[in-house]
Amino acid sequence: MADATISAVFDVYRFDPSKDREPRYQRFALDLAPHTPVLSALLQIRAEQDPTLTLRYSCRSAICGSCAMQVNSKSRLACETQIGPEMERHGRIVIEPMRNQAVLRDLVVDQQPFWQRYDSIEPHLILDPSHPMPEDRATSMTPAQVERFKETPRCIACAACYSACPAVSADPAFPGPMALAKLYRFVVDPRDSATQERLVRIQPNGLWLCLRCHLCTEACPKDVRPSERIRDLKELAIQVQGGTEAGSKHAIGFKENIRERGLLSEMKLVRQTSGVVGLAAQAGQGLRIWRKKPEIARRPHRIEGLDEVEKIYEALDRPPQEGS
Amino acid sequence: MKLAYYPGCVAQESGKELDLATRWVCRALGIELAEFPTFSCCGSGFVDEANEVLNVAINTRNLAIAERAGLDLLTICSTCQGMLTLANVRLQDPAVKRRVDGALKPLGIEYRGSVKVKHLLRVLTEDVGLAAVKAKVVRPLNGLKVGAFYGCHLLRPADEMQWESGEEPHAFEDLLEAVGATPVYYRGRVMCCGFPIQFVKAETAQRIAAHQIDDAKAHGADAMATPCPLCHISLDSFQNQAARTVGHRLDLPVFHLPQVVGLALGASPEELGLARHLVPTGPALAKVAPSLRA
Repeated sequence: MADATISAVFDVYRFDPSKDREPRYQRFALDLAPHTPVLSALLQIRAEQDPTLTLRYSCRSAICGSCAMQVNSKSRLACETQIGPEMERHGRIVIEPMRNQAVLRDLVVDQQPFWQRYDSIEPHLILDPSHPMPEDRATSMTPAQVERFKETPRCIACAACYSACPAVSADPAFPGPMALAKLYRFVVDPRDSATQERLVRIQPNGLWLCLRCHLCTEACPKDVRPSERIRDLKELAIQVQGGTEAGSKHAIGFKENIRERGLLSEMKLVRQTSGVVGLAAQAGQGLRIWRKKPEIARRPHRIEGLDEVEKIYEALDRPPQEGS
Repeated sequence: MKLAYYPGCVAQESGKELDLATRWVCRALGIELAEFPTFSCCGSGFVDEANEVLNVAINTRNLAIAERAGLDLLTICSTCQGMLTLANVRLQDPAVKRRVDGALKPLGIEYRGSVKVKHLLRVLTEDVGLAAVKAKVVRPLNGLKVGAFYGCHLLRPADEMQWESGEEPHAFEDLLEAVGATPVYYRGRVMCCGFPIQFVKAETAQRIAAHQIDDAKAHGADAMATPCPLCHISLDSFQNQAARTVGHRLDLPVFHLPQVVGLALGASPEELGLARHLVPTGPALAKVAPSLRA
């Protein structure tokens, strides 16, 4: 027996930059089964109520990545998001275009910058000319080698991660979660000969702007887990180069900082990351905070059992390979 | 109820007011805090970036300390909560566990995996319970509109943190209602505060912080409240710089979670360390009771 229908209310973002001065929300009401995908509802709205509603879609099976949009502020594929839970949680379904991309019309956004960032990481194998791929057979990888990047090939380039990312919103220098997850895939691919160059190039080009907020990992419909791949890239970059950027200096500085006393020495960390000049530049702000919170200048107490922490470092923290 | 109290670094130093407020609230609600001078820093996400297995190992040591005492762990920082939980999760990978055990066993440290890591927000909403918190309210925060600001690592990745929805949580708003405040729902409540890149690119970090503060204000908040002292640094200690970066005033007080609860349970502003904030909390306090001064 079919599910009973529910009265679903859609507030759909409408905007035609060639005509409208600003966007508006148009309300549509439909009686639908709770398991109805948002995309099916929108297509029904277009067929029955407003033929001008503009959206991008193709496969309706969560494979093509075309129908990503915001459903109640979450970046989602419309074809695999059911209306029932959304109505239950929010009492209505607000449909908006993806964020961080200019709206061309209604729910269709300009994906050009997203693809430009993807292209910037050179998303193809870079081969060593002295070791050409054999022409008569496929190159093989061991299961362990494939295991290292098993999540990334699942990516369908829907840009849900790009839409969810606050670093993309705030800074055009950040390549975005998908581009970095794809970069990781080539960095660890044993057939690629440019691993080190790729890591050296990305360090000053946005790698350390990732906030590790994991919003991309929540948004990703294919469980690529971009934030975790970005973390992996950071560790690999440090292994190759050590601390060359503020971000890698900060991560290394933090690691060394807590080794000394077991707890963080806040002022020392600022000096480790920013240097004496950076510390001086922050002096005004530091003073302002110190007046209210004098502990900021204090060294923390030494924890008991610090020798255990030291031994854990000795066992697991090998110094980065200098100059390699 | 007795828990192993893991204050984290900031609450022991520049965020001392968070520690003060936590102790006050726990005393008021009958939560006994066991203290361990052996706890180390959780690595704050930065050690995880530099060396994942090392980060798991130092947190496994922290977890083992609580396990030896037979206690679950109480955190008061979203990032501590995230890193300690992550250690529990990553230890399920046999390759990680082998390396961590290899470093810890020679020190006589063994961790069986029994410790639950619980943030104060979860303890108050689930273990103490909203009804019990509400029953102790003597100064309901009527009329105070508060924008909860969760802090990423308390929620995400949601399949690893195993608690609230990663994008649509409600525990903090439920708690705010229980103490009489009016929760403000705004998109920024689950967003990033910018803290992780404060020392990478301050301007970007500040723009992100300002965005969330503006969002809370646009939805009518008189104040924000956060369960994370690192968010508090970004939103309160650096709010003046965020305002300068975006070129307009922000002026929004930011409470630590136990300060909001403590206020409702009758603590004085001094007992909660409110005078230590960079953004004055006075205007928000005046909405609760005209006589209150930070």
